[in-house]
Amino acid sequence: MFSILIIKELRAIIYSPKFTVTFAVCAVLMLLSVYIGINEYNRSVIQYRTAQELAEQRMTETTAWPNLINKAQREPNPLQIFAGGLNYDIGRWSLINREDSIKLQHTHYSDNPIYAVFRIIDFSFIVQFILTLFAILFTFDAVNGEREKGTLQLVFSNPVSRAKYLLAKCAGSWLGLVIPISIPVLLSLLLVVLFKVPLDGGDWIKIISFLGLSLFLFSFFIVLGVFISTLIRRSNISFLTSLVIWVVLVLIIPRAGVLAAGQIVYVPRVAEIEGRRNAFAKDKWAQFEAKMENTWIERSAESGGGCSSASDEKLWQWMKEDDAARKKVEIEIEDYYAKLKEDLRRRKAVRERSAAAISRISPASAYQLAAMSLTDTDVSLKTRYEDSMNSYRTLFNDYIDNKAEDAGPTGQIMIKVSSEDGFDMSSFDSDQSLDLSGLPRFRHPDRSFSESFYPAIIDFGILGIYTILAFIGAFFRFLKYDIE
Amino acid sequence: MKMENETTDRPMLEAVNLSKRYDDGVLALDGVSFEVKPGEIFVMLGGNGAGKTTALNIFLNFIDPTEGEAKINGIMTHFDPLKAKELVAFVSENVMLYENFTAMQNLDFFASIGGKNVYGDKDYRDALLRVGLLEESHHKKLKNFSKGMRQKCGLAIAIVKDAPAILLDEPTSGLDPQAGHEFIKLLDSLRGEGRAILMSTHDIFRAREIADTIAILNRGKIIMQKKASEIAGRDLEDLYLQYMAGHNSEVESPAIGGV
Repeated sequence: MFSILIIKELRAIIYSPKFTVTFAVCAVLMLLSVYIGINEYNRSVIQYRTAQELAEQRMTETTAWPNLINKAQREPNPLQIFAGGLNYDIGRWSLINREDSIKLQHTHYSDNPIYAVFRIIDFSFIVQFILTLFAILFTFDAVNGEREKGTLQLVFSNPVSRAKYLLAKCAGSWLGLVIPISIPVLLSLLLVVLFKVPLDGGDWIKIISFLGLSLFLFSFFIVLGVFISTLIRRSNISFLTSLVIWVVLVLIIPRAGVLAAGQIVYVPRVAEIEGRRNAFAKDKWAQFEAKMENTWIERSAESGGGCSSASDEKLWQWMKEDDAARKKVEIEIEDYYAKLKEDLRRRKAVRERSAAAISRISPASAYQLAAMSLTDTDVSLKTRYEDSMNSYRTLFNDYIDNKAEDAGPTGQIMIKVSSEDGFDMSSFDSDQSLDLSGLPRFRHPDRSFSESFYPAIIDFGILGIYTILAFIGAFFRFLKYDIE
Repeated sequence: MKMENETTDRPMLEAVNLSKRYDDGVLALDGVSFEVKPGEIFVMLGGNGAGKTTALNIFLNFIDPTEGEAKINGIMTHFDPLKAKELVAFVSENVMLYENFTAMQNLDFFASIGGKNVYGDKDYRDALLRVGLLEESHHKKLKNFSKGMRQKCGLAIAIVKDAPAILLDEPTSGLDPQAGHEFIKLLDSLRGEGRAILMSTHDIFRAREIADTIAILNRGKIIMQKKASEIAGRDLEDLYLQYMAGHNSEVESPAIGGV
């Protein structure tokens, strides 16, 4: 009996004209998105390699260790083909040297602003916005439509239990849409293989998990549509209701969650942080200058006829003391600045977590967060790279310092001032290029499958729970449903 | 096909003091009792809101009775609805089938959920031919069928289900005279096979033509129930109007008295 009901649902879906349209749209969009994604990835790889070669060339042209500057590049991720996430929003490289702190620069969107306006359509976008809409459009009249047509009466004039019927409705609708849609999905994967996108075993497991996640979201919207069709007796009203619910779940809550988190958790702007740092520094330097003034007055008094009458030895000691005091102030300012930055980073993390928690009310958000995590294009992508580049920067600078010490004053500038020769400046530059064979290279922060999957577990759970709740709602509603 | 209990006196369909009051307080059925034996056609006559469809809906367990029982072959429909529904086929006023399915596919689906998995294409074809649907229409989608063809298709489903009881809700409503006549002839042949048939209609002409027993319902009550032989030779329309007028005046002014 159950299989008969499922087969009927499958037939009803496959014979319906809207199925042909859905299938065609999904097939075209999926294949196109993957094809464009592959092209985009290949372009990124070429750009990455060229940039790496240029950085290497610049380093080989450098003749003094202290002048050596590296560029750490963010490696293109083949999983961005399926879910771009923040991949296009985060800079591609950062300078590595002693002076500049790590800052990822040149995003894909800063190079191609038009993409920022009309963002790239990837597989996750199709699932999140198009498949969920189709799922709702296929099921909003699953029960009330049959009641209006009169077929529900004829079905229940036969020995069919309501529980079996509803289960078959959900399962049939699910299979009726999943089986045909799996064809363009498989073709998309075939494209990835044919275009020789470099994917290892871990990547494939991530892709399979991502497709499973997509199925979870799709299932929720199918069951939600069935639930709405049992709640509302007229199909035209359930159509409008379904659309409104879809808009709220897919378009409004994800954005509202971020806005709400912004209101709840205060995060100062970078300009504010800089302003506070400058104010602190100004105050500290003012204190330092006042203290110095007093110190020099005391020193003048101590030496009798002013500071100029002090011995060279004394002057040298005072200079050392002043330098130590200056360095202490500099360290205090840097510590304060580091604390401000740490506080900013912590507040940002809290806001990100709050935004994620609020927007997870929407299954579409839960899906998006999990999809980005599984494809390593999530919000932690930036911090992962920044942390990794910071570690590399320390390694790089230590190596440079050691090498510079071994090489002597190469690359330094000597300034001579004498009453006889006047002013003279000379450098210790050498014409020989540096031996970069031992230079530490930047290693990309790879994530294992478990590291990518772990943050997504909660979203799998949320989608599962939402689906079960929608089914329970539909089930109890349908038990009392007036089929007349 | 002859039914097993065709010769027994045990009623196939039985309403015992059946009442239904809806949530809004409307009393749709008020203590209705009747029985339909195998090989018998019981016709419920009455206007809109008389309670005919409510009675059928209780037999089909679409709704529960407020009081009383509806039984199919002794099985209480609200107690064991699935078992009871194995024994009954239903043809509604507007047989609505799956528009994108062919007649054969519709028959296959409804025969299968009716619990008869042993049927095949030949049985469906035979049933469709029997109700007068020509071979070329068997593989046509239902959206191309006229109302008469749909009603016939509904009856073919009932035939394929091979149920000993058939419930019909205004089955000839909207059919042209030719189609109506053919439909009634088919019912006659099904009666001949020993099936118990319960039909609601407000078509007095058809009721007279086919019924073994006629019950007139008004405001949820049976105000007249007679065998066809008891009213032979009388004008059923006059009788109907008399009973209706009498009952309505009785309800509105009990002191005047009725039938």
